[in-house]
Amino acid sequence: MRVKKLRYSYHMQLDFERPAWEHNFKLRCFPSSDERQKISGEHIKIYPVHFSNSERDSFGNMCIYGTAKQIHSHFSVDVSGIAETDIDGKVIAEPHKAGIFKYETPLTKAGVNIREFHRSLEPRGWTGEFERAVYMMRMLCDDFSYVSGSTGIATTAEEAFTIRRGVCQDYAHILLALCRLERIPCRYVAGMIPGEGATHAWTEIFDAGIWRSLDPTHNRECDDTYIKISSGRDAQDCAINQGVFYGGGKQTQSVHVSVRIL
Amino acid sequence: MKVTEEELCRHSDSVNEQLARYGVKFGIYKGGEFHEQLFPFDVIPRVIGHEEFSYLERGLKQRVTALNEFLRDIYSDRKIIADGVVAEEFIYSGSGYMAQCDGVSPPGGIYSHISGIDLVQGKNGSWYVLEDNLRIPSGASYPMIARELCMRSIPSAFADNLTEDNRNYPELLRRTMDYVNTGGHSVILTPGRFNAAYFEHSYFAERTGARLVTCEDLTVENDRLYFIDYSGKKEQVGAVYRRISDDYLDPVNFNRESLIGVPHIFDIYRKGNVALINAPGNGAADDKGIYYFVPRMVKYYLDEEPILQNAPTYLPFYDGDMRYVLENFDSLVIKDVAEAGGYGVVFGSKLSSKEKEDFKAMLKAEPRRFIAQEVIDFRDIDIYEDGKRVPRKADLRAFVLMSDEPVVWKSGLTRFSRNPDSFIVNSSQGGGFKDTWVMKEES
Repeated sequence: MRVKKLRYSYHMQLDFERPAWEHNFKLRCFPSSDERQKISGEHIKIYPVHFSNSERDSFGNMCIYGTAKQIHSHFSVDVSGIAETDIDGKVIAEPHKAGIFKYETPLTKAGVNIREFHRSLEPRGWTGEFERAVYMMRMLCDDFSYVSGSTGIATTAEEAFTIRRGVCQDYAHILLALCRLERIPCRYVAGMIPGEGATHAWTEIFDAGIWRSLDPTHNRECDDTYIKISSGRDAQDCAINQGVFYGGGKQTQSVHVSVRIL
Repeated sequence: MKVTEEELCRHSDSVNEQLARYGVKFGIYKGGEFHEQLFPFDVIPRVIGHEEFSYLERGLKQRVTALNEFLRDIYSDRKIIADGVVAEEFIYSGSGYMAQCDGVSPPGGIYSHISGIDLVQGKNGSWYVLEDNLRIPSGASYPMIARELCMRSIPSAFADNLTEDNRNYPELLRRTMDYVNTGGHSVILTPGRFNAAYFEHSYFAERTGARLVTCEDLTVENDRLYFIDYSGKKEQVGAVYRRISDDYLDPVNFNRESLIGVPHIFDIYRKGNVALINAPGNGAADDKGIYYFVPRMVKYYLDEEPILQNAPTYLPFYDGDMRYVLENFDSLVIKDVAEAGGYGVVFGSKLSSKEKEDFKAMLKAEPRRFIAQEVIDFRDIDIYEDGKRVPRKADLRAFVLMSDEPVVWKSGLTRFSRNPDSFIVNSSQGGGFKDTWVMKEES
């Protein structure tokens, strides 16, 4: 068993232009243990919290939700802990339960440009689902550039592909769109990788009963330094924060992630 | 019967006036504008004999039971997909499927508490199901209040006591709410008085004794739902008959622009701490594409032959069906699965040859988007118009309420098209309604 130990911390802060109150939130930024990672020493702080509860959503992601009733000018969440990753751990699923990940969502819908690109690839020559996905990832990376700030959270796969620029979320969405044209079950993963900065996003491809991870931004298979936070059909299912509140005015969100290999 | 009808017709105007005064109206959005219009009531009832209704009753119970099983299955084990009985495309790429409902067991195991099943009767007398409505089927209040007003205005029409009293709907509704209540009050959640069906919301609240509330009156705290009364006191709520669509139910979990929903209500529903009537995600079972599979569901889950039949339906998604649809285009009605309320319905024979070619191309490009059906020659029903009886197309929305067992309400909403050439009876397209009289067993 090959195991790596990583210390992670995640900080998200919302700054409001004007005070906010009756802030109902749902956070999805808590790595949890599965076949590939064991989480320990977890510490969570949410400011300012009035009521909170937790649950796992339908995709198995840990959520904390609640209400901050009092007037506040900022809202923050801090999560830290230790992840022990096991690259040989197998995330197994029954094929008929992975079916939902075969179908496009508004964010991963292939439009004319992605469809045309997909046709030019002729990925049918590759037998296995994972091999086909790897091949499409390689071809995508030849034709797409990482440019931070070129897209936003609501940018669709087709929009990003059309301008051939984007960030990790866009890479993941486009690869998902391509795989879904092949009816390969595949999902979006939000997570963290070593270093300082933002959260990362990659994909998981369902192949012969196992979910295998592929990082199209880095054009590689995920190794044992990836910490998974959540997964779903697309970025929307993995939304780190969903909130509604009174007041607030303009809001600015800042995120800082730090992962160190121990 | 003849005398009764004459008497009813004499009171047509006065009953309609009273209905208008009660606010029996519905609103429609068209071209971005909201219009409220009266829902014209035709005094001649549709009469269904005891035997015939017993047959419908058995078929409806069976169908709703199977649909409920289907919802339970697709949001848990997905056996019907694994066994290849329903094509998964129609579940996952339909707009009604809600991934967030996967793995949630609603209180009492009930998904479709109130089902509105739309049927038509063919010229040969046989009944066909046209549509299952498992989200927020509305309309039961209309025949109920119409009956009430007619009984008051024309008591002699009911003196023989041969018609089943349909004013028990609130009791059935109350039983349905109480059966799944997880502790506390039962409430009816309305988007507010500008909603098309506000009359119905307030009427049911009054008749069931459940509180009529808007999102302002409810709050979620510590995983429980509370009603806040005028003095600020909180009382727990265990069942919500919500007349708000899934999308607007909870701004934290769904459409965050919603101003009519209750934040976190879906989170506590997932935990089993409140019953939502009907369950979120039911749209996965009343999609026009899924309709095709309902007779198969009956066999699959209940191991019974379906008592009620579908209108003959084809799914262009399947190659054989596609061929049939292209060859017999003129005799079919094509429906866009994403549309409702009588929109997105095209009669093949009514298109010009250019339109036909365009439509066929669209069909080939997006087969999943359409279903095709044989045009059923409806049995016409007479309505009373300008002092005489004239035949019109009509359908029947039957209501099935689920508690410990499914119960079919012995009445229903009969909708008719006011346009003599139209098959479309939806109220949003200007139709009217009738009361439905179910006859008692002759003793």
